[in-house]
Amino acid sequence: MLFNSFEYLLFLPLVVALYFTIPVKWRWLLLLLASYFFYMCWKAEYAILILFTTLVDYFVALKMGSEPSRKRKKRWLVMSILVNLGMLAGFKYLNFFSESVNALLQITNSGYSFPLYHILLPVGISFYIFQSLSYTIDVYRGIQPPEKHFGKFALYVSFFPQLVAGPIERSTSLLPQINAPRPFNQQNLVSGLKLILWGFFKKLVIADRLGMFVGLVYENPGEFNGLPVILATVLFAFQLYCDFSGYTDIARGSARIMGYELMINFNRPLIATSLRDFWNRWHISLTTWFRDYLLYSLPYIRDRKIVQSKIYRNLVLTFLLMGLWHGAAWTFILFGLFHGLMLVVESMAEKPVARFHEITGISNYPGFLKALGITYMFTILVFSLFFFRASSLDNSLLLLSDAFDFSNTAGSVKALLRNLEFVFGILMVAVLLIAEHVHAKYNLVKVIAARPSIVRWPVYIGFIFFVLLFGVLHQQKFIYFQF
Amino acid sequence: MKGKSIKRFILFAALIVMVNIALDQSFKAFSVHNILNRRMDEQFAAYNDTLKYLALGNSHNCINTYILENSFNYGSPSENYIQSYYKLKHILEKTDKKPEYVILQADISTYGPKIADRYEYNSYWIDYIDYPELARIKGDRTILTKWLEGNFFSYAGNYKDVQLSILYRIKIRKLEMHNGYRPHRDYRNFAEETNKRKLAWDKANLFLSKDAYFDPSIKAYFEKILQLCEAHQVKVIMVRYPMTKEFHEEEMKIVPADKLFSEINTIASRYPVFEGLFDYHSLFFDHPEYFFDPDHLNIKGSDLFTRKFAADMKLLESGLFTEQPGK
Repeated sequence: MLFNSFEYLLFLPLVVALYFTIPVKWRWLLLLLASYFFYMCWKAEYAILILFTTLVDYFVALKMGSEPSRKRKKRWLVMSILVNLGMLAGFKYLNFFSESVNALLQITNSGYSFPLYHILLPVGISFYIFQSLSYTIDVYRGIQPPEKHFGKFALYVSFFPQLVAGPIERSTSLLPQINAPRPFNQQNLVSGLKLILWGFFKKLVIADRLGMFVGLVYENPGEFNGLPVILATVLFAFQLYCDFSGYTDIARGSARIMGYELMINFNRPLIATSLRDFWNRWHISLTTWFRDYLLYSLPYIRDRKIVQSKIYRNLVLTFLLMGLWHGAAWTFILFGLFHGLMLVVESMAEKPVARFHEITGISNYPGFLKALGITYMFTILVFSLFFFRASSLDNSLLLLSDAFDFSNTAGSVKALLRNLEFVFGILMVAVLLIAEHVHAKYNLVKVIAARPSIVRWPVYIGFIFFVLLFGVLHQQKFIYFQF
Repeated sequence: MKGKSIKRFILFAALIVMVNIALDQSFKAFSVHNILNRRMDEQFAAYNDTLKYLALGNSHNCINTYILENSFNYGSPSENYIQSYYKLKHILEKTDKKPEYVILQADISTYGPKIADRYEYNSYWIDYIDYPELARIKGDRTILTKWLEGNFFSYAGNYKDVQLSILYRIKIRKLEMHNGYRPHRDYRNFAEETNKRKLAWDKANLFLSKDAYFDPSIKAYFEKILQLCEAHQVKVIMVRYPMTKEFHEEEMKIVPADKLFSEINTIASRYPVFEGLFDYHSLFFDHPEYFFDPDHLNIKGSDLFTRKFAADMKLLESGLFTEQPGK
């Protein structure tokens, strides 16, 4: 069930109404049933996988909780990691691995090839497996006590607002919320609905509109060159942001209505001034997951001294795996590797650049420095998106080379400007950036909420119908569902 | 929730409902497609002459009813076989008008998934389409939302129609319609375009998909149309309308036309009411001046085409055809 479907617009109010009607002690059960129903709308068989992950991690955590020996605890943890990552490998990476090895074997003319399977990637598998894994790791580390109530733990793994595309919640945040009564709160209802509406604006009015142009260029590599290719990639950055953060807003809004607070996943990432800043603002629940459960666990000390080169190696490895998390393709591996390497370069250049700024006096102009930083970050991001968006490595290289062929630029610009849909999309991106800027400075939501109803209501109603009229209502899937 | 809050909530919801009704009704009254389609319905209801030819299809259908006698052009913008079927069903089962021939569009672009999944102007089509049946046949329950859209949210997502309606009102000031036929658009001429290839590419990619050329739902409704015509003993003529050479070449890059038409012929030839496929796609390859854009004839082009078609129909009826119609 997609958030941007009519079914969800019926499903959510029904679940919310039932949630606040039934006794508190049964609410977890209602949400659990609703979450499984929500998930099974894609494919009923998928529920077996999520149930299996839940069962394994539930029992592993209980075992770890009752085990005094650290060594034995570790064994249980290893089992949980193997089962979870094994599932992920089987459903997501097996064919990619076979294809890659087959390509290698073809070069060596060995005559052998690995079989390929028709495996349909279960929606959201990377998200709920990471969420469940974070729980067992936290139990192992003693941060989280094992949850004894199987139903409530199952709800933690499958909570429908964030089940298929995050935010990847930590057990320390979500489980206590599931265990505590969540009484009806009018402010939560209103603010949740506002968040949902804003999410729909980003998804339907901006992301899906930009997606039409981006898709045209990226699904027909070799047909466009120069400015249209560059513009499509720049706009893809906005499409991706609006699509994913729009999803997150709808997820957070849906949860908030029922009294659950999910973590903030985006913090205006497109105005980040460096790549490191970008990753602190983009898909925060994933980056912090990799930081807390992988990066910080990798060795970086030799003879009781911190070894900088090992830190860099760990960083590159983490980002390479983060790229692979996004999808089983070389394009995603390159995307991650590129970001990891650029972060190393950025880190190495930090001091010399700061000194250069001081010597030249640029540091006295923070506005200029910020603009420079945003331009740098955005250029790096857009370059990497050539790999992220293209359907294959060949296509990304073709599009990259076409991007620098500027023949017939005038004709392309004329054709683009004649396309009202395209112009309107750009205009909406500008509206978004201004709104986010104003909101960060003055808290737009509070400013509007402080106005009398005669002003406030027309704003809300106008915005609802604006989204309905100008939204692209083709029920386009969210991009991150494929991960 | 306190009593005051509940009252405010109800008031807010009521305001939303009221604005929705106002927008829905305004859109239905303003949308140029609704106006055109309803006018066509009115003309069809008032048509009292012998109905020999009933032409269905989308904007490619350019049968000029001034030229082809006893004909009604019931084609409408973006119409696909699914919509044609329900409209034909309505005509044959709920009116007393029975055509001798149904002229069915057979352009390559008629059969792909992009056309099959295009549901526009639902506020008009709710009068014809059995949406639950369509959802069942396509195995897609989201189609039911189109019924809702048509009934209560006609404006939702249809900003393009608002834009088009404004343009139409500016460019086509008076609406001329004769037995469903509207003179084709004429304010541009394809012969004068400098980037013919690019325009053709854009259009071909708008309608066609590389991986699929005969959508299963279109196939199902194609059969349903033939079954319906068989049951009512209405003869079926399929027509590939003229197109520019550039558009045809771009189509050929995407769709295996031979395979497609072989499948179409196999299906159609099972029905005795099928009279043949008239192929005019290359008729004006050397005359870009007869086209408005890569795939639409202009007034002159559609007049010439209709004369050719009328002549071919005479030949068909007299049994004098020596070669495939359209050549």
